[in-house]
Amino acid sequence: MSLKAGAANSPGTHEASRRTFWGRLINWTPYRLLMGIVTASPRRQFLILAAFPVLWLLTQHLGPMLQMLRVSLTDAYPVAPGVEQHFTFDNYARFFGDRIFWQPFFRTLIFASVLTFCTLILTYPVAYFLACHVSRKNQMLMLLLLLIPFWVGEIVRTYAIMILLGNTGAVNLVLKWFGLIDRPIPFMYTSFSMGIGIVYLTALYMLLPLYSALEKLPKSYNEAAADLGAGAWTRFRRVTMPLTLEGVSSGCILVFLISTGFYATPVLLGGPSTTVFAETIAGFFHVAGDEWPTGAAFATIMFVTAMLLTGIFQRLMYAMRKGDTK
Amino acid sequence: MNRGNRVFLSCVYWSFVLYVFVPLFLMILMGFKDSKFIGFPIRSWTLDWYTGVFADAEVLSTLGYSITIAVLSTLISILVGTWIAVLLEGRRFLGRAAMFGLTILPALVPGIISAIAFRIYARLLGIEPGMGAIIWAHAVHNVPFVGLVVMARLSTLPKSQIEAARDLGADPIVAFVRITLPYLIPAILGASIFCLLLSFDDFVRSFFLGGYDPTLPVLIFAKLRSGMSPEINAIATVALVLTAAIGIWAERFTRRMNKDVNS
Repeated sequence: MSLKAGAANSPGTHEASRRTFWGRLINWTPYRLLMGIVTASPRRQFLILAAFPVLWLLTQHLGPMLQMLRVSLTDAYPVAPGVEQHFTFDNYARFFGDRIFWQPFFRTLIFASVLTFCTLILTYPVAYFLACHVSRKNQMLMLLLLLIPFWVGEIVRTYAIMILLGNTGAVNLVLKWFGLIDRPIPFMYTSFSMGIGIVYLTALYMLLPLYSALEKLPKSYNEAAADLGAGAWTRFRRVTMPLTLEGVSSGCILVFLISTGFYATPVLLGGPSTTVFAETIAGFFHVAGDEWPTGAAFATIMFVTAMLLTGIFQRLMYAMRKGDTK
Repeated sequence: MNRGNRVFLSCVYWSFVLYVFVPLFLMILMGFKDSKFIGFPIRSWTLDWYTGVFADAEVLSTLGYSITIAVLSTLISILVGTWIAVLLEGRRFLGRAAMFGLTILPALVPGIISAIAFRIYARLLGIEPGMGAIIWAHAVHNVPFVGLVVMARLSTLPKSQIEAARDLGADPIVAFVRITLPYLIPAILGASIFCLLLSFDDFVRSFFLGGYDPTLPVLIFAKLRSGMSPEINAIATVALVLTAAIGIWAERFTRRMNKDVNS
């Protein structure tokens, strides 16, 4: 604040501005010459500002994806010296040719969709409680409390789930204590343990969009609906839910995309019957380099499918929102 | 709102709190178990695993390696992300929407795909797997988060302040350094902490772009694959305490900064 106050108080005369560092800089001849070139026209100024970001975005953000696409269409990468690289669709054909390739792919999509839905069901009441039943002051504290575990990394939290669900883990111990079971339930290395782990990792990405959507919802809407005789369930279905669909949609898209990309969690928590596509893709990068194009092709298939699905989902949600407001 | 509803929802909230805290709490407890065997019940307690961690040169050097990567990648992300945000929040231009889409692209690509895309691209750029590659991948991956946070803050900067500075003789660069930048500081600090945590916690990119030296999550992963032991609990707890402490401190700090600047 003091900086701004200083700038506002000092008159714009040469004499006064000469005393400060910035005043001297502005009047320093090489700097003035440089600025004269840079700010010669608004157009040039804009080009200088835009050059680096455009270059960065094209080479660093778009580049890796395009290079992945290019490699997926070749028969060998990295190319050995003296060998010619050929253009081919074989890597894509391989995907459809073998069950061990497309089965994990569909499994991943189904898992991710189911887990996204579970996360939504689990976190909606939590977000609703925070946004609508808690005073402003406590809201931030109670939200912060939930944020703490989510600062902890993926691997550490996966390990925590391993300890919770292991044969000698806490859940089995408690169940034994109450005499519900005689011998431990093998939770680990199943789709159940993997699901628990992934929901544990993604819940926050659902919770935050839901919370911000619910928080924006004016209380008066629900009160008006209640005055008009709507019960709690009707109010939720006809007022709260439609007006928070935007949050639901962005939360679901985030969680879906994140869940399809997990690698370490399925490796540690899943078993042979729950191989996900991330493990299939990774497999091509552990072995000799000539498998890279296939891995790249598979990753491209995954990326395009995930983008298409989330795109369709977003459209659907948008149509629902429009339909409701009519 | 009726009372039963409220009680039910509050139960849901507190069970959710239990769900997110209990696994971590149990993991921390297990690090104090006086046995090589992971599992409940814990009969006797020890601090040996923790003293072991701080005496283990491999763990300590890995910790330093992870922190170095986090700091350097964050510096790059902040510089680039802020630059992009300033461009996108400035005057309208053709292709602005496309540029915004490109900016957030790395944040939308699922983890494994982003890791292998970086792996392939690093080969093209001639970056050898190792520290440089990890820093580069983390920096690119974190740019979208910096961009979004800084853009949000920038959109609330009163245009009149810049105009006043320009009227008083400041050129664009001086106006940026003396007006825009101080206004952005809370957003930049918040984004840096977020980037530090993202980089420090990241597994998949570090795993695919790493050389022989592991980062902390990669080390824990490697040890887990060869079997669970309370030693891992102790290492994981150190990582957990570090990240949670930075997170809590940053949360309070940015909140205070926001209050100061807004008032």
